[in-house]
Amino acid sequence: MARTRELVAELRERLGGAAPQPPPAPLPRVPEPPVRVFPKRHEGSRYARETAAHTTALLGIGQVGTRYATDVVLQFQAELAVAHEAVATELPEDWAAKNGLLGLRSRVTHHREFLLRPDLGRRLDDLSLARLKMEAKHGVDVQPILADGLSAVACMQSGLELLASFTRACEARGLTVGTPVCARYARVWLEDEIGQTVKARVAAILLGERPGLGTGDGLSAYLVYEPAVGKTDGDRNMMSNIHARGTPPAVAGDRLAVLARAMVDQKRSGVSLELGHLVAELGDAASRHHRAPQVRERLVEVPT
Amino acid sequence: MRLAATIRNVVHTFGSLREVLAKANPPKSGDDLAGLSARSAVERVAARAVLAQVTLHELRQNPVVPYEQDELTRMVEHTLNEAAFRAVAHLTVGQFREWLLESTTTGEHIRSISAGLTPEMAAAVCKLMSNLDLMTVAAKCQVVVRANNTLGLPGRLSSRVQPNHPTDDVAGILYSMREGLSYGCGDAVIGVNPATDTAESTAEILTAIDAVLKKNAIPTQHCVLSHVTVQMRALDLGCPMDLMFQSLSGSEGGNRAFGISVALMDEAYDKMKRMGTARGPNFMYFETGQGSALSSAAHHGADQVTLEARCYGFARRYDPFLVNTVVGFIGPEYLEDGPQITRAGLEDHFMGKLLGLPMGCDACFTYHARMSQDELECLKVLLGAAGCTYLMSLPVGDDIMLNYQSTSYHDIPSVRRLLNKRPTPEFDAWVVERDIWDYEHNRPGENFGRPEAITPVRGNP
Repeated sequence: MARTRELVAELRERLGGAAPQPPPAPLPRVPEPPVRVFPKRHEGSRYARETAAHTTALLGIGQVGTRYATDVVLQFQAELAVAHEAVATELPEDWAAKNGLLGLRSRVTHHREFLLRPDLGRRLDDLSLARLKMEAKHGVDVQPILADGLSAVACMQSGLELLASFTRACEARGLTVGTPVCARYARVWLEDEIGQTVKARVAAILLGERPGLGTGDGLSAYLVYEPAVGKTDGDRNMMSNIHARGTPPAVAGDRLAVLARAMVDQKRSGVSLELGHLVAELGDAASRHHRAPQVRERLVEVPT
Repeated sequence: MRLAATIRNVVHTFGSLREVLAKANPPKSGDDLAGLSARSAVERVAARAVLAQVTLHELRQNPVVPYEQDELTRMVEHTLNEAAFRAVAHLTVGQFREWLLESTTTGEHIRSISAGLTPEMAAAVCKLMSNLDLMTVAAKCQVVVRANNTLGLPGRLSSRVQPNHPTDDVAGILYSMREGLSYGCGDAVIGVNPATDTAESTAEILTAIDAVLKKNAIPTQHCVLSHVTVQMRALDLGCPMDLMFQSLSGSEGGNRAFGISVALMDEAYDKMKRMGTARGPNFMYFETGQGSALSSAAHHGADQVTLEARCYGFARRYDPFLVNTVVGFIGPEYLEDGPQITRAGLEDHFMGKLLGLPMGCDACFTYHARMSQDELECLKVLLGAAGCTYLMSLPVGDDIMLNYQSTSYHDIPSVRRLLNKRPTPEFDAWVVERDIWDYEHNRPGENFGRPEAITPVRGNP
């Protein structure tokens, strides 16, 4: 005990006793750090300009210590907010009817359940199933389905345009198109039950895709031949990044119709669908899992 | 074996060890989805109380997927190190937890029993541990592996540069890679997830990366994460390949959905042993993640933590150079939010290390999971403190191809500096020579964050 008391006294003495900590030395005026702006490439390094031609990755952004410049932080947070907002936005219940579409809904009852129960998002609720049986055209070549998926924002922004261009392009290729429907809380595989119910030869679901940073407005499309509950991903063909900066909806609608036509002609879809002879017509959609590159937009602007 | 525990005069009984293991798990949305979770917090504790009394010997006799139905179960049973198993077989899971935590139990001790543990044992003890327990034990475990670099030495934290591109634009990939290297990242691997799963594309990317690494004498490894059969064809094309990659699942059915089996992986391993370009002796790279078996309905009523451990049981057959859990990648239906993703990252790292693997972690979230960037940054520091072998690294953590958020080129040097860690010794020598880091003052060097300092190869940037 005595030894501890001695040690404490010694230590206190060495650390300055009862005196307050000495004030820090005064610092002369801190110079303003260099401007680090994202992503005005012309203001960035030559490296940043060169990379911009090849990738949308956030390169050439410099660093402060080992961390990001303030401007980069703000851009990043804005992009994150856009993605989160897209996920959180719900499709209003009356949106389908207001836009002349047959409104359907999966077995999901609320948004959190939608995120946690993909199994429920793949099946129609009883009321929707009954409506579909009663009100939709049966035995068509193509059943188009617009849906919220993981971004209702994308669905509401460019869904109608994609649906219209896809429908027109299908009809131009001699395919009959079913009653346009719009599904809430929908996962990709919901197209199986819808297509099976109306006995369509091809089901095509156009839905908001899992957002990336700063991109909540992308749609994806998944097409399947002879839709039936139990089909897997290997049975489908898909196209992603359908938006103004990727593949614009008007172009995408045309390419998806080429896919639908090929499915009807070849009586199959997915891995075994032969697309080699259609590469020119299909463009990006020729690859089964194609992802178009994004374009990075500056999101935060402040007056200078 | 009577599986029951009493809490406040209520007797909780369980039908099988598999049920006990599942209900002892901390809450996970994936276990809810599979209908396996405890019905209440009290039942969860009761399951843990039962589990604490089960011996490791009993766990070996009760694999969560039956011997007759699953080749992984059979492979683990046939290759278990009997001497190592005998040293701990008599311990209950509760006692095993205490032995692992005991100050007198060293990393060396743990390593000497690793090969006698089945995945179910690692998963069981994991369920009795808090996050800090998991970190405390994992930090003791040292797993040192060698390809061109030596990974897993004390005081080291490595990273993968992940320069993915949505259309495999080789120039775009190389720009991102050079930037990552200039931040001192990439000593674990330069690993690209390709958009196009063809042998030609895999070979093209590997050849381009190889040229830049050679020109700049950068001591690291490269890998293109296409399907293992695609990489085998790429080897036939004569391209350089330091590491061979494959995603693993925790059951035979789960692996079938991934298009692989033990026999196929054996074949791939043999081919890589003959044709791979790293010095070795370790040259395989595996990724895992809780929920993969359930997503292909191949979970056999087992929980996702135990199935994850079984991936490590599979991985260990091939003495891999890298294993990492892509912890938040699959989505909120398996790990809902920040606490669940954080917990899973620490669990997976612990179980992998306990089973003797050089365990890394892709600390990440998708934008539809409820995890904040701040929570994700915390997880990176926790993993670093737990001795995690390596983390990923991307520009601002943003994967422009796979659309998810991971560790950034800036995060790696930040975590290293906080925890006083360095890259692998070989890579460290290069970092010092290129003046990327100034160790005298422990701060960025002249070329830190200057990709121009890494010389491009003519014809490619």
